[in-house]
Amino acid sequence: MQEPPPGLAELVRAAQGGDQLAVGRLLDLITPYVRRLCGPIALDDGADATQEALIAVFRKLHQLQCPDALFGWVRAIAVREAVRYATRSARSQPAELGELPAPGDPQLAADIRDVLSRLSPEHRAVLLLRDLEGLDERQTAALLAVAPGTVKSRLSRARLSFRKAWQQ
Amino acid sequence: MPQWPVADFDPVRRLHVIAATTPGAARIGEAVLDAPFERVWSLAQDLERTMPLWIPDVRTVRLLTPESTGAPLQARIHGHTRLRATFAIDLAPGWCLMQSRLVLGGMAARPETDRTTRLAFLGGLRFPGARLLAPALRPFTGNPLARFAALLDEE
Repeated sequence: MQEPPPGLAELVRAAQGGDQLAVGRLLDLITPYVRRLCGPIALDDGADATQEALIAVFRKLHQLQCPDALFGWVRAIAVREAVRYATRSARSQPAELGELPAPGDPQLAADIRDVLSRLSPEHRAVLLLRDLEGLDERQTAALLAVAPGTVKSRLSRARLSFRKAWQQ
Repeated sequence: MPQWPVADFDPVRRLHVIAATTPGAARIGEAVLDAPFERVWSLAQDLERTMPLWIPDVRTVRLLTPESTGAPLQARIHGHTRLRATFAIDLAPGWCLMQSRLVLGGMAARPETDRTTRLAFLGGLRFPGARLLAPALRPFTGNPLARFAALLDEE
């Protein structure tokens, strides 16, 4: 997650006040981050999910009280939107975790996208939040509105497979 | 460590975000034009010369000299009807967003193929309750994309 840049509070306030040029500049600031969140979760639908996530972010912008919390707030909205969009998509065909390549399988390193495509959107979201964003189990569960135990039991095997592959 | 996939995004999608979140009323349309991006954008970004030729209610566009280095670009725009306002403008390759106190306008483009370009056009009113005045947008939005395509053929 990014550190808030200087002048962010003024920019957020201007965008909340209806200044659409400020909305455009705020879009510049957060779009790269939203693309990185939506890509691994929505895969081929990443561009549509990013667009929907950004629309959700700016429709709710008036609810943001503390501009310094912008990126964490954006992350919660974007991940939920990406999961929702990917789940709705006809292309989403989650497979059993047992079908994941075993650690050391060269396929893992060769094509992470293919490995992600075999997980459900929620599994991809947990991997992203835990391994890329560094959230703990409790934070991840709260963001996705699932029980912490569910996060742990359902994802440990998938994450282990990814980590072992990456560390080789 | 493998690279996580990053979602694609482009200026046309960005303009859709602006259109969907404008507080008043905004209309957005898009078309695929039979010309490469560079040619489409060189015409679109020539605001003073070409805006009056393809945006129905725009009669004249005069760019104002920035008050200081780094100050936002501004233009004074007069319409055929009641439009008469100073606009602040964000202009970049494939992107133009302009707003006055009451009016929002924008255009965005991305290459569709080597020979075609997707161009989107946005016209809107920036105040709450503007949706009730949606018919008033017609002179500003009209059918500018068809006019732009015709302009491309002429030039």
